[in-house]
Amino acid sequence: MSGETATVGTLDYRHSPLPVRGDLAAAQKRAWTRLAAPGEWWSGAVRVAIAEETRAAEDCGFCRERKAALSPYAVTGAHETATDLPEVLAEFIHRIRTDPGRLTRRFCDDALAGGLGDAEYVETVGVMATVIAIDSFCDAMGMPRHALPTPVAGEPRRRRPAGAKGGLAWVPTVAPEDLTEAEAGMYDGLSAVNIHRALSLVPAEVTGFFDMDSAHYLPDAQLKDFGTEYRALTHAQIEFLAGRVSAINQCVY
Amino acid sequence: MVEEGASGGGVAAGEALARYAEAFCEDRDGFAAARERLHGEIGGEALVDAAGVLAIFNAVVRIADATGIPLEEQKAEMSADFRGALGIDDYPAAAGKV
Repeated sequence: MSGETATVGTLDYRHSPLPVRGDLAAAQKRAWTRLAAPGEWWSGAVRVAIAEETRAAEDCGFCRERKAALSPYAVTGAHETATDLPEVLAEFIHRIRTDPGRLTRRFCDDALAGGLGDAEYVETVGVMATVIAIDSFCDAMGMPRHALPTPVAGEPRRRRPAGAKGGLAWVPTVAPEDLTEAEAGMYDGLSAVNIHRALSLVPAEVTGFFDMDSAHYLPDAQLKDFGTEYRALTHAQIEFLAGRVSAINQCVY
Repeated sequence: MVEEGASGGGVAAGEALARYAEAFCEDRDGFAAARERLHGEIGGEALVDAAGVLAIFNAVVRIADATGIPLEEQKAEMSADFRGALGIDDYPAAAGKV
């Protein structure tokens, strides 16, 4: 477990110009540790490579050119990559990182046709969301980003929820009524709305991401408790800011 | 895009919050100034909270858009009028999701 120890050590806020809430920092540490460990479908090394490629996409000239084009399919070129991840995975990561507002069903179909498994697809999104959230926090605070964690050796677990079904999203999801014992706690503390179900083909990504989400946003039980303010920001300010970020990213959800 | 002086939606420090989000996503050169303005209006503890909300939603939007999850039926019905008025239904990512 020396890798996990090293991982946690890369993330702390001792030098932050403003005190960072302990629960928020702790949630990020858990997420960073989980990022480096073997997942359901990817090894720790691939998960960290996905995180590295997510960062590299921000400086990719081809992504900038494509973002400026009328259609993302109107330009051709090659990504400026930082890893040796397969091309289909690099393309997947760069599109989600740099142009999420124009993702369509075709994007998903192309990735799956290119050889990405649907559960690999979902786990990749979960890893990306984790590193984007923590990097964005550092950026939003005006602080340097954390070094990526050292991958932890081990094999992916390769467990697919038996109750996963198509129909809700582009990828199969697990409805609360279809949970089996293997992923029974996946929606604990969550209302199992569609955003919670989005990653449910890989249950560890649901529990991991929304553990972090509740520390950055609000736990589900506090979201509609308008009689109490749980943060230094009010409910109204939180929702206003969240809505602005979603709108700027042209996200309907 | 939110402009300087745009409405804050009736929310305390709304204009500064909106500018903070807009600068983060679209104007990194102006972000330090936007953050300092927000800090001045809401204080350090709330600024950390704002950074957390901004950060997690910068990730949540990508989960939603990459997996193609739709709005829940009830939310879609409740928001139909203002989605249309605000042009949200015209977002490319709205196709098949509302």
